[in-house]
Amino acid sequence: MKRFRYEYGGGPVHLVAAAVGLGVAVWALFMVFGVLDRPQNFVRWFVGAIVLHDLLFLPIYLALGAAASGALLRGQRTRIRVAALNHLRLPALFSGLLLLVWFPLVLSKAAASYESRSGLSTDVYLGRWVALTAVLFGVSALLFALRARSLGDNR
Amino acid sequence: MSAAARCPPQPPIPELGPFKRSFWRSPLRGPWLASFLSAALLPLIVVCFLTGLLSHAAYNPALGRNQLFDPGVDFYFFEWPVRPSWLYALTQGLHVVSGLGAIPILLAKLWAVIPQLFERPAVRSVAHALERAGLALLVSGSLFVFATGILNIQLWYPFGFSFVPAHYYAAFVFIAALAFHIVTKITVARRAFSERGVVAPLRDELEHTMPEPPLEGLDTTAPVAAAPPTMSRRLLIGTVGAGSLGLALMGIGQSVGGPFRRLALLAPRGRSEGNGPNGFQVNRTLGSVGIPREKLVRDWLLTLSVGGDMRVELTRDQLLQMRQTTASLPIACVEGWSTTQRWTGVRISELARMAGAHGAEIEVRSLQESGTFKRATLSDRQVRDPRTMLALKVNGADLSLDHGFPARLIVPALPGVHNTKWVGELAFAGTAA
Repeated sequence: MKRFRYEYGGGPVHLVAAAVGLGVAVWALFMVFGVLDRPQNFVRWFVGAIVLHDLLFLPIYLALGAAASGALLRGQRTRIRVAALNHLRLPALFSGLLLLVWFPLVLSKAAASYESRSGLSTDVYLGRWVALTAVLFGVSALLFALRARSLGDNR
Repeated sequence: MSAAARCPPQPPIPELGPFKRSFWRSPLRGPWLASFLSAALLPLIVVCFLTGLLSHAAYNPALGRNQLFDPGVDFYFFEWPVRPSWLYALTQGLHVVSGLGAIPILLAKLWAVIPQLFERPAVRSVAHALERAGLALLVSGSLFVFATGILNIQLWYPFGFSFVPAHYYAAFVFIAALAFHIVTKITVARRAFSERGVVAPLRDELEHTMPEPPLEGLDTTAPVAAAPPTMSRRLLIGTVGAGSLGLALMGIGQSVGGPFRRLALLAPRGRSEGNGPNGFQVNRTLGSVGIPREKLVRDWLLTLSVGGDMRVELTRDQLLQMRQTTASLPIACVEGWSTTQRWTGVRISELARMAGAHGAEIEVRSLQESGTFKRATLSDRQVRDPRTMLALKVNGADLSLDHGFPARLIVPALPGVHNTKWVGELAFAGTAA
């Protein structure tokens, strides 16, 4: 057993889970390659998903977050500066999340197929997203203004 | 994993930038946060996966030409029921709502564990190499199923592959890799929860928010050089939860309908389509299937055939003179939206009797010439149900052309696209009595 752990780096349960989990995953990949006309497009999206998220989107929003906190805090972590940062980045996060999920409608990417299939136009969505974004930032700014006085008193 | 293991030769990665542990400074990252987010995510993923399998079964893939692709292994061991009539509206609503709600939690989870992508040594052992391969499949698979699902419900298909089999099989990749991941990480979650408490870290105010400590002997994302916090754990989890709830409400709005539809501000089927009897959501307009108008309005005849032999032809007026039945039934779309309306028409079981067909499946054929859903095969149980009808009217008025005039199929609990519109023929299987 000791020998097994040394060679493998984990217990037998780990090996069984790896065999079953990776086995089923590889089976599913083989199945889908057999079914699809152009499996290379599947591969492009499947690999593209992790590459885009881990090496592009996530670094971009980390950098945006770092830039925002650098600009607002300027090395001074007073309660009011930290609060200002949060009152800015939370509505930005929500607005970004809504855009991330609904961008095909908001940016009219889906316009042609959406209009042909549903009989409706995608025109309303950009306005709705802008309005929701304005409400999010507006409410956040209002709450910040209400909190600012009590936060300013301390420190 | 912590015990000594043979370490394979390492690729030379310089200890720079993200490869340096001290690069990752958030005090909130760590095993508790990763475990807490996972615990929130898991039930949503389980619901989403199971309702996805149910959706596959709801199409009755074993019947006729209903099967969209060869599933390799069949996971449907039962015939899709007709009761309750809102069954598919519920299961598919849950599928889309749980998927939407999972997105913010998944993104937060990926943020919480991103330092692991850059961990060094890159491969510690055979077991560790397998774990990392599994993680690549897990992250890719999860992002793939959520991305394709999100695009599909907005009727945008930029992928260049067929959605249904790709979404279906990628879900198996995702779930299989997830099961492996849970086995390898369950110790971390158990230790994090027992050492830190499940919800106790949520109680700390910002001033008392400390960097998450590592778990002794386990490899985690706890920071080695944490910056001071700018957010409490409660605020972080609250933000993720609010994002999740907001998206879920949009999905619920278009699934439940009625006054709740207004909640679905950015969802594709959150819009009012007028107050008239035909003022409800259209999955596919007549324009998008291209049936010439005169084929529906002037020349239309319904054909009843049994075993391939044409038996009866009926005009719309003749159908209207037959005994009519009325039922409130939902149209429930695979894209997660539903709408319940009051339909009036002729029972399919009555048309079966008229054609002389006995206890058999039936293929309902539309006049549309192309498209996967130009036909649908119903089970015997669906044919016999007294609410299964060839609808001629909705809410007391003639069907509009977009809603399937002159006649469409309405079956309780059947996925929307199988409620065939612009029906031209009911083809009963089997032989005459």
